[in-house]
Amino acid sequence: TAGTLVRGLSVLAHLERLETRMHRSRKKLEEPQTVQAEESALVTEIQKLRRLRDKLRAEVKRRQAGVKASTANVEPDQTWEITEQEVLERKWENLKAVLQAYRFTGLSGKLTSRGVCVCISTAFEGNLLDSYFMDLIVQKPLRIHRHSVPVFIPLEELSAKYLETNIQHFLFTLCEYLNAYSGRKYQADRLQSDFAAFLAGPLQRNSLCNLLSFTYKVEPRGQSFPLCARLLYKDLTRTLPTDVTVTYQGMDALSTSWEEQRASQENLFRTKPLHHVFTSFARKGEMLDMSLVS
Amino acid sequence: MDARRVELSALQAEIAALRRACEETPAPAENATRGQKSFQEIYQSDSEGWESSKDLRSHLGHLESEILFLSTLTGIKIRNYSKKTKDLTSTEMTEKSIKKVLQRHRLSGNCHMITFQLEFQILEIQNKKSLSSVITDLNIIMEPTEYSELSEFVSRAEERRDLFMFFRSLRFFVEWCEYRKRTFKHFKEKYPEAVHLAEGAASSCMGVRSASQPGFEVVIVWRIQIDDEGKVLPKLDLLTQVPQRVLELDKNRVIETAPLGFRNLLGVLGIEATLESLIKLLCTEEHARSRH
Repeated sequence: TAGTLVRGLSVLAHLERLETRMHRSRKKLEEPQTVQAEESALVTEIQKLRRLRDKLRAEVKRRQAGVKASTANVEPDQTWEITEQEVLERKWENLKAVLQAYRFTGLSGKLTSRGVCVCISTAFEGNLLDSYFMDLIVQKPLRIHRHSVPVFIPLEELSAKYLETNIQHFLFTLCEYLNAYSGRKYQADRLQSDFAAFLAGPLQRNSLCNLLSFTYKVEPRGQSFPLCARLLYKDLTRTLPTDVTVTYQGMDALSTSWEEQRASQENLFRTKPLHHVFTSFARKGEMLDMSLVS
Repeated sequence: MDARRVELSALQAEIAALRRACEETPAPAENATRGQKSFQEIYQSDSEGWESSKDLRSHLGHLESEILFLSTLTGIKIRNYSKKTKDLTSTEMTEKSIKKVLQRHRLSGNCHMITFQLEFQILEIQNKKSLSSVITDLNIIMEPTEYSELSEFVSRAEERRDLFMFFRSLRFFVEWCEYRKRTFKHFKEKYPEAVHLAEGAASSCMGVRSASQPGFEVVIVWRIQIDDEGKVLPKLDLLTQVPQRVLELDKNRVIETAPLGFRNLLGVLGIEATLESLIKLLCTEEHARSRH
């Protein structure tokens, strides 16, 4: 297949590179040198080539073993049985793979003796984050036995609304809540870890990560005025805030330009993930630094 | 020195021959699922050897029922999946106990009438403290493409490499499509004369005309939109089609304000009740079929 060919070629490419290096070092050898230096260079080169040869020997052996294995020993009288077996085994491999693949939907599960254990995976911007599980008992009524969903997620509310009538809807709605929570948490964590220099005080956050309050500066070292930001994420299924308030610390009345700045900051927080906002502050600062230096 | 030069050329010759041998022998498949393993590898990977086809069949049956269960649970049917792993750990990384692996995944299936094919890459970096997994690339192909709302959504999901959001929103989108279809069908069956589905129940428009007032028609446009964050929301609008003279007679501008009134009513009564009251309003002289 294409994939194995590519990999095979990459091994060859790697070996080729080793060879080229060896050719180059050989060229060096041909320059006028003392007899001793020539000797040691030759020894080094021989060692290199020995290693390369051993690697190639191992590679060839590996490939030949692979070929042997795939043309398995087939006894003539068992041919028919093995063919059917082969078909079933391939099907089994395929089904096993498909079963594994369900975790990529963000929602997966395993049958248990009493029902099902569901696993919900979360991610934000491609970063795979925490997973949560839920043990469901399939009885009348359907109920949740154990789970690792945090207490501040409205699980009871959701299950009362949807669990009995539409389990798919229940599960995917729960996925929404958990993914949004994970995403908000990720943004707050990144702010604290990567942009601590921009914060003029601790980041105040609740466990649901839907109310954040902090004082910050757009330049970490600069003389810019500190701003106070308050982000409220009313919609728990979203990772962007619904209400944003930005004020210049201790100032009520602002001149037009300052008001413009304040409003644009508010808009930034409303439309971009939290850590991206600070990344753009950092970039602006870098550009400013560059212009000062040059 | 001569002996060494001899060894050098011998090594070079051997290396050339080994390279040729490498090129001639195909590399065995590694880390690739989908039936490329040898029987020996299958036996080794599973502690139970297959006693007979019967044994294998019962296990297959169990697997199939598990998959059927998962597809019922999620509403998503995965038909094929394969994965390839590439070790990107350099020698420097190994020294620092860091492992770097790139996984290439390919998966295809369907969610009701929508089929999808995904290819994505996950980069896994393991150091002493933690394991980080990041989706570094996502490619999505979907059919049918007549749901225009979906193409924009797909590009956004690809851009954000948000695999889970893709499945979640897809599932909600399909659920809304099914609900819309059922609702339109229901009203068509209940008020066959008044309700008019020009493109069938799967379309986004439902026309309502009054038999007693020809030329007077309203069209309910029910779109299903997916916003920036992957939230699936229904958006209903009312379009009125009335003869000019009727408009002239409409001093209170009832018809002009009808779309707004419709939207307000939606907020109060919900979709089904709003549609029902609208149809009833237009067909006061209709003899509607009684509800079963």
